[in-house]
Amino acid sequence: MSTHVKIITHLLASNEQAAERNRARFRAAGVLAVNIIAGPGAGKTSMITALLRALHGQARIGVIEGDIAGSIDTEKVLAAGAGDAVQINTGGNCHLEAGMVQQALEQLDLTALDIVLIENVGNLVCPTHWALGEQIKLCLVSAAEGHDKPIKYPDTFSVSDVIVVNKIDLIELVDFERALFYPAVRALNPTAPLFEISCRTGQGVAGLASWMHARLRHERGE
Amino acid sequence: MHELSIAAYLLEAVDGHARQLGASRILTINLLVGTRAGVVDESLQFSFDMLAPGTLAEGARIVTRRSGMRFHCAGCATDYDPGDGDFRCPHCGTFGQVVDDGSSLLIESIEIDP
Repeated sequence: MSTHVKIITHLLASNEQAAERNRARFRAAGVLAVNIIAGPGAGKTSMITALLRALHGQARIGVIEGDIAGSIDTEKVLAAGAGDAVQINTGGNCHLEAGMVQQALEQLDLTALDIVLIENVGNLVCPTHWALGEQIKLCLVSAAEGHDKPIKYPDTFSVSDVIVVNKIDLIELVDFERALFYPAVRALNPTAPLFEISCRTGQGVAGLASWMHARLRHERGE
Repeated sequence: MHELSIAAYLLEAVDGHARQLGASRILTINLLVGTRAGVVDESLQFSFDMLAPGTLAEGARIVTRRSGMRFHCAGCATDYDPGDGDFRCPHCGTFGQVVDDGSSLLIESIEIDP
């Protein structure tokens, strides 16, 4: 005779636990960890290199690069002044998981860093499900992708702590209506700060960088 | 594609629970999955069936209950599911506030043999 047993648990509970361990390590080291979630081509690596330049001399930044394969992005961020960088190749997996970040942390000296930017695999669907131990989830979209992203990928917007629109210099050339994008974003997330930037022209990057630096000071209780 | 990762976590979780309960076999796994969680039932079962042999969950059937998105419209004092459309209230056309973003991913229960 079979028995029916109620459980009620998050399906990814063991990932949540691993993420909590990572978060404790970041907190203990006084490091602000940022999980960057975006589709392919939104400008994740460009935003990271722009932030590295903007925060040069103010914060020591390490980068964890998640990618399907290759190390081209790691080379780019090191050239742009990253204090340290670790490449995670997921071997086809479409998102990073907390265990992968835990392994990457074995290769990063957190005591020599203030901020760790984690570039997730380019995908707006599933990275949102896997907590990595970050204090901040950053959702990055680009104007060139169109204004319908919140409608198509709602949970990425609802759980993010900050939402950034890149390639804003192209807004006149592409189908991106602010009047359609922002009300949908605010329906999902009434409080997250919003930034419009262009990594190509540098517009708006200073504002994003100073917000991030303020969050770092907040995290350290300064 | 990510169903394979989800299946691996699901298997680890239910196998652990079943062992704690002293079960000999898991027959059914009942999930609650949001309509916008990006999980395809067939892919999840397919992935699970690849990973489960040799565990207590070998041959287990995954039954998924779906929960939709829910928004609240303050003006109309009502909740609504926007379905596939944008997030406007179907009655007054203004944007409500999200109550459930449709991303649930829960194990609700398992059916086991002692």
